Amino acid sequence: MVGLIIILFFMMIVLMAPMLTQWDPYKMNTGPPFSPPSSEHPLGTNDMGQDLFSQLIYGARISLMVGLVAASVNVTVGTMVGLLSGYFGGKLDEFFMRLIDVMIIIPGIPIMVLIAAYLGPSIWNIIFILVIFGWTSIARVIRSQVLMIKEYPYIDASKAAGAGSFRIIFDHILPNIISLMLPQAILSVVGAILGEAGLSFLGLGDPTHVSWGMLLYYAEAYGAFLRKAWWWIIPPGLCITLVGLGFTFVGYALNDIFNPRLRR
Amino acid sequence: MFATLFIVVTLNFAIPRIMPGDPITHLMIDARIPPAARDALIKRFHMDKSVFEQYVSYISNLLQGNLGLSFSHYPRHVSTVILERFPWTLLLLGISTFLSTLLGLVLGVVSAWRHGEKIDISIQTFGLALWSMPIYWLGMLLLYYFGFQLGLVPLGGATSPRLGYPNEIEYIKDVLWHIALPIATLTLGGFASNTLIMRGSMLEVVKEDYIMTAEAKGLGERTVMWKHAARNAMLPMVTVVALHLAGIVGGAVYTETVFSYPGVGRLIYDAVLAHDYPLLQGSFLIIAITVLMANFFADIIYAYLDPRIKF
Repeated sequence: MVGLIIILFFMMIVLMAPMLTQWDPYKMNTGPPFSPPSSEHPLGTNDMGQDLFSQLIYGARISLMVGLVAASVNVTVGTMVGLLSGYFGGKLDEFFMRLIDVMIIIPGIPIMVLIAAYLGPSIWNIIFILVIFGWTSIARVIRSQVLMIKEYPYIDASKAAGAGSFRIIFDHILPNIISLMLPQAILSVVGAILGEAGLSFLGLGDPTHVSWGMLLYYAEAYGAFLRKAWWWIIPPGLCITLVGLGFTFVGYALNDIFNPRLRR
Repeated sequence: MFATLFIVVTLNFAIPRIMPGDPITHLMIDARIPPAARDALIKRFHMDKSVFEQYVSYISNLLQGNLGLSFSHYPRHVSTVILERFPWTLLLLGISTFLSTLLGLVLGVVSAWRHGEKIDISIQTFGLALWSMPIYWLGMLLLYYFGFQLGLVPLGGATSPRLGYPNEIEYIKDVLWHIALPIATLTLGGFASNTLIMRGSMLEVVKEDYIMTAEAKGLGERTVMWKHAARNAMLPMVTVVALHLAGIVGGAVYTETVFSYPGVGRLIYDAVLAHDYPLLQGSFLIIAITVLMANFFADIIYAYLDPRIKF
């Protein structure tokens, strides 16, 4: 419930961004640099006199967009791999499971930084990197569920009725794992938002878009500490934390509703 | 272990080669480099040979500990630069992993023993709040408050810039003073998941018959809680700590960046800013190998702690 309110709150901000602020987030010298919060600039200004409140609410658009896009690709890829790997087993399954084992043990942040440094800064590159490392846990969860479902009698029944493998996978197994997919999808959004913020914080973000991670990177790099500009440091991190908590709460709540047997 | 090591080494070789554009273009920020110099570079780095020959020379260089030359620390070797920074990261990760495991363990045991009570709920809320903060933001908040507002801790670095120390104790004090806040950040950001796992494991263990036996013998609550229950509930923690290592290393990259701490994590950040690709790749390789080794040792420790497991 709390989670849902937080998510709806941020969705509203995303949709109404232009109505909430009079400033263009990229316009320079809207006020003196490093000015503290005032009625004109609710969250003050940065080193170039840009309005931080409008950067924050336009940043919500970028952060949530990256999170949602990356998560939907993650879920699609993860579900496909989980379905095929679980249903067909054998060499295919062996290959994917070894791949996932290796990907889990390789330190994620350093290799993501390495790839991002070579690809260059762009929003789409970041989404691409988040997808490479984001699908594995979903594939694992879906696979284990498929392994269980495929032993059910009704699957044997449809096999006996002459249904092909793909018909069984998409018409008979897929509907039964949607309840498991949804919470995973929501948790994947959290992972992607945090991932984007993290890469941006390390200076690998898209300089043409201001996301929450970029705001923190700029704050760190352009003297927010020395000027004691707390209004530049606190709000972006707080937003990341709140959105992360919101999606996590909803994810676990959905898990409890759809999969009551998993409840402790 | 060795298969994974091989994959990591190969990935490190392959990533620059499968990326768009050839490596030389990446290395040269200035595109106006004269063709003669370009050709010389291609020859120097064996770019004109086949991929297989490049791979063979890459592996043989690696076995000799040669990771190439760093651009931003030219003419020093990548391996020298990394080795200089490595001890700081090891110190930071060692202490903070120990502390966050210990904190997670103790809070998890207390939380499970009093589960449903006020103390359990406050531990869980506190843990959840810290767990959901991006670790670099947590670090920035601590640095802002304790460093810039109160002036209690230094604003960065691992030691004070001065010529020497009167004695060893002064040196150790200075190092601890600098590392305190980075350790606090990593510990606070990392203990919550340990607490959750320890709590879950404890809740299972207290259902066991031997706990009831211990209680029926008339042993004190503390003895049962720590000596009988907690000791057995600790087993899953070994695996979890090992599995989290990959994540903890990521935390170190962020934390060292925030505190300008001269470890391998900060080196990665600096290498990105300086477009120092050899240094970046070397750092990745060293970190990946360290994590693999740590996982390997965790498996051995686990087998020793739980004699039921045989490899």
